[in-house]
Amino acid sequence: MSGLLRSNVTRAALRRGLATEVGQQAPRLKTFKIYRWSPDKPAEKPRLQEFQVDLNKCGPMVLDALLKIKDEQDGTLTLRRSCREGICGSCAMNIGGRNTLACLCKIDPDTSKESKIYPLPHMYVIKDLVPDLTQFYKQYKSVQPYLQRTSVPADGKENLQSIADRKKLDGLYECILCACCSTSCPSYWWNQEQYLGPAVLMQAYRWLIDSRDQASKMRKEMLQNSMSLYRCHTIMNCTRTCPKGLNPGLAIQEIKRSMALE
Amino acid sequence: MFSKGLMQRQALRTLHQTGSRSLTIPFLSTLPQNPGGVKGDVNDAVKPPAPSRIHGSLHWDFQRVTSVALLPLVGSSLASGGDISVVADSILATMLLGHVYVGFQSCIIDYIPARVYGKNHNYAMYLLTLGSLFAGVGIYKLETEEEGLTGLVKKLWTVNRSTEAKQ
Amino acid sequence: MVKRLSGLQRDVLQMYRQCIRQAHKKPEANRPNFIGYIRTEFGKHRNLPRKDFSTIEHLLRVGHRRLENFSAAEVKDIH
Repeated sequence: MSGLLRSNVTRAALRRGLATEVGQQAPRLKTFKIYRWSPDKPAEKPRLQEFQVDLNKCGPMVLDALLKIKDEQDGTLTLRRSCREGICGSCAMNIGGRNTLACLCKIDPDTSKESKIYPLPHMYVIKDLVPDLTQFYKQYKSVQPYLQRTSVPADGKENLQSIADRKKLDGLYECILCACCSTSCPSYWWNQEQYLGPAVLMQAYRWLIDSRDQASKMRKEMLQNSMSLYRCHTIMNCTRTCPKGLNPGLAIQEIKRSMALE
Repeated sequence: MFSKGLMQRQALRTLHQTGSRSLTIPFLSTLPQNPGGVKGDVNDAVKPPAPSRIHGSLHWDFQRVTSVALLPLVGSSLASGGDISVVADSILATMLLGHVYVGFQSCIIDYIPARVYGKNHNYAMYLLTLGSLFAGVGIYKLETEEEGLTGLVKKLWTVNRSTEAKQ
Repeated sequence: MVKRLSGLQRDVLQMYRQCIRQAHKKPEANRPNFIGYIRTEFGKHRNLPRKDFSTIEHLLRVGHRRLENFSAAEVKDIH
């Protein structure tokens, strides 16, 4: 009963999504090749499965196509998604050889080319397009991403910050931790057990330069070894791939510079 | 462009297997790895290695210093056509050696990490140090007994040209 | 002569032993349930080719994760 209800709801939602459809057009079939692997059959090798989607009856983004495939063609296709507007960072995947968010990536309208979709590279796969981000989150936890102070403000209320100091955090705090940058970094591919990766290092920098934070000495001490920070060789794949247009490469460089003369 | 192709191949080849098995150097023995590269509980934070300035910021500083110092040294020797003093030439050769040494150290840390290769990491480092010492002795001989690094390069240049001229 | 086991085979055996050890820390009445569960889970992949390293490693990873979950003291029984 509830299943029936849900399928009705999705169908209604789909119909509503297609409000802009203009009359009857020749179908524009686009081929998607999607990485498939199921943990229920671990002995089977991962493969690329082909799906065809009519672009006239589909939203503009890759996520729309993926959900359409999941709704209409193969319900077992597994992916993470939540907000569909690029603020949750769940649907990070490798689309056409580039790590990006499926909800922010437009479908290439050229139907003669097929679009290939893989999970984030060099991560353990849980199923289909879902990578295991355990290590990534553990690393994020290790930089202690919260305000640390020894003193309480005089009025006992807020830790105030000047406008100029607040400006320093722009371009850092917007990171949604989608792991696109970290998983595009060759250094992170080879040494992800120890190298923190661009996303986490950018957050480390965000807390280092926060004028309200008083633990920067300890924070720098944690990065003061050969693996955590200095595996960055300014390859800059992180900055190129970031779906939010941030610059983790610059942030890492700034950390290195501030630690250079200590 | 560092490259879509490589990233896609990476994606297909190594995804549901451990990175270490498919990416290790075949003839070097490796240490057993944590399942999934994850150590400890899911909720534990990753533990950073013990802090060490020599391996951290000083190593990085040395890389920058040598590469920046090489710019005017190489530039001046190129501009003067190889006619620089023995002192400048020795500094150039030493800086170059130092630069190459820390560069290779970085390569070894990247590709033969102690986490995966254990002792082999140290052996690689010893080998590098030994080679660099030999190179150091070579530079000393080159500067004292022969015409130095720039002279050597110049000689190579002229030998090439003279063989070309013969042909 | 005893056959020499490869590293991976030893890993699997070690994993099995860990599982049984954990099962013996559970209440005595429910122990057969745990042991039965362990045996069926291992038995599912009994026929996996010995050389299928990536699959075995995957199963080991999943197994470790599951062992971690089930060895929590709050888990008293399994069905």
